[in-house]
Amino acid sequence: MSEPRANVLGVMAAAPAVLATVAVLVFAAQELSGRTPLSYGRPINVAEAAGAGEVSEVLRFLRAGWDPTQVWPVRPEIISSTVTRATGLEAAIWGGRQPLVELLDRRGFIRDAETRHHLACLAKDIGADDVVAYLSPAGAPSCDPGAGFAVVKARSQPQ
Amino acid sequence: MQVSDSLNNLIEATQGSLTGLVHNQFFQRGYLRPFLWGLIRVVADLSQGHYFEWFRGWHVAQVVVLSGLFVALLRVRRAVDAAVVPLGLAALVGLHTFSGTIREAFPINTFMTILLCCFAAAWLALGTPRWWRDVAAALLLVFAALTVETGLLVGVIFVAAWLAGARGLSRTGVAVQVALVAGYFVLRFVVLGVGAPGLEERASGFGFGVLDRDQVAARFGANPLPFYAYNVAVSLLSLVASEPSGGVFSVTQRVLAGEATAINVVNVGASVLGTALIAAYLWTRRREWLARRFTPDDQLVAIFVAVAAANIVMCYAYTKDVILSPAGIFYALALAVAARHFIERASMTAGRTAVASVVLVLLSAGWGYRAIAAAIDLRHAGNVVRVEWAYVDRWLEREHLTPTTDEGRAIVRQLQEDAIWNHPARPTLAGDWLDWFEQ
Repeated sequence: MSEPRANVLGVMAAAPAVLATVAVLVFAAQELSGRTPLSYGRPINVAEAAGAGEVSEVLRFLRAGWDPTQVWPVRPEIISSTVTRATGLEAAIWGGRQPLVELLDRRGFIRDAETRHHLACLAKDIGADDVVAYLSPAGAPSCDPGAGFAVVKARSQPQ
Repeated sequence: MQVSDSLNNLIEATQGSLTGLVHNQFFQRGYLRPFLWGLIRVVADLSQGHYFEWFRGWHVAQVVVLSGLFVALLRVRRAVDAAVVPLGLAALVGLHTFSGTIREAFPINTFMTILLCCFAAAWLALGTPRWWRDVAAALLLVFAALTVETGLLVGVIFVAAWLAGARGLSRTGVAVQVALVAGYFVLRFVVLGVGAPGLEERASGFGFGVLDRDQVAARFGANPLPFYAYNVAVSLLSLVASEPSGGVFSVTQRVLAGEATAINVVNVGASVLGTALIAAYLWTRRREWLARRFTPDDQLVAIFVAVAAANIVMCYAYTKDVILSPAGIFYALALAVAARHFIERASMTAGRTAVASVVLVLLSAGWGYRAIAAAIDLRHAGNVVRVEWAYVDRWLEREHLTPTTDEGRAIVRQLQEDAIWNHPARPTLAGDWLDWFEQ
């Protein structure tokens, strides 16, 4: 064995794996210091949490008193650039689909037939069939095609 | 701590007395795992309701001790020894068989406990002869075998190490190991009549898909031998090439469909290259082995070969990545040993050094990539588990497992509090770069 050449090979064997380990450790250290790189950060309201499908965050916002029936600003990277203002209920259709909509419904946040109908139409517009089936168990709701989504889209237009 | 496979285990383990719990487990059908339940109960009692801290702490401690034993077994004395440690550790955590030992809790991941027992067994077997090693080895085998079935591999390790010239255990100590393994089978199949899980009890990967329980029974119920042969063959392939996984040739299917991802290619490439290095080691050492002259490195690789063979056979009825985890950790050890040997041999000439540099960089980069993928996967699992806890009431209703006791309800509330409010999920990772790690 040639010592210098073995050292070179040792570095070749170690360096990539060490770099990978350091990358993971640096990421973990940054996260422990309160900043998560390579992410959009924590959702800033209940609609963002619902839109991102982060159900546990939705529960945290609900316990803190946030209202998912209210309209909240949603960053364009969460759902889409055309949906930047939505209620938590609407956002849940994109992010959490039927289970999250059901969870919010069980907690009494779908308070009237009009809201239920709007949500069902929105779900139909975006092809969330599981949500449509949950909200309209008797059959698909009668909606003007695109009308449910148009409400959210219009609300999201810059004023 | 996930809801399925964990919550109900914890509720069940905390009922009655510890001795009653362990005693009852000797009379189950299909499985003989009394110490698995005993361990859950002991940690649950010690936690005094601080389940998250204790079970998570236990999990972390297991991983730390395992890593420490890995380094200890490699006997790092020189620079070249230290150079292969990062590669070995990356292979340890990056191999797909390891994933199931860190991303799930039942609420203790006893597959990981068995890995600790296996490394501890190797450490005992490869040390200097002492009478207490015989005693510790016997206790270790009894504990491991009665925790999870793969714990029997502890006995294989002691015998393989002894056959490869290691004398940490005496001849009597090894004879006790053989007697204990034989005694286990008598206890399980003759005295207690526990038997083994039936063919129709689990869905199983086969070819490009998964056969459900009924399909397995319909296809192989009359003659299960082809099914067993398939499981053994694919377990071997999975260990040495990371494909198939869980009996399913998903990477092959993706390649055929032109949909293979970067991580698919890296997984198979790193494993094939690593296996080639181990095979080269075996080839260069064949004459010494045939003459029964073993170095400490040879002994580690011999243990790997024996554990791999026994572990693969154990998968005859049901192949699953995590069941192969004992063979997987010795694969990582054997790879580090082979890399060390490769460096020593390749550094003899300048030409060989140049070629070996490329091989080692590819190997180390591949396993480093897999280690990062494992970290991302673990993080993702943490978020998935929190979604489970958000819907826990719904899940309990659907599975008809809603606790009927105050203690059971308190455990559900406590664990949900921990998962959602006390230790919330980290922000979800985002960006196109994640495509590079998409399985």
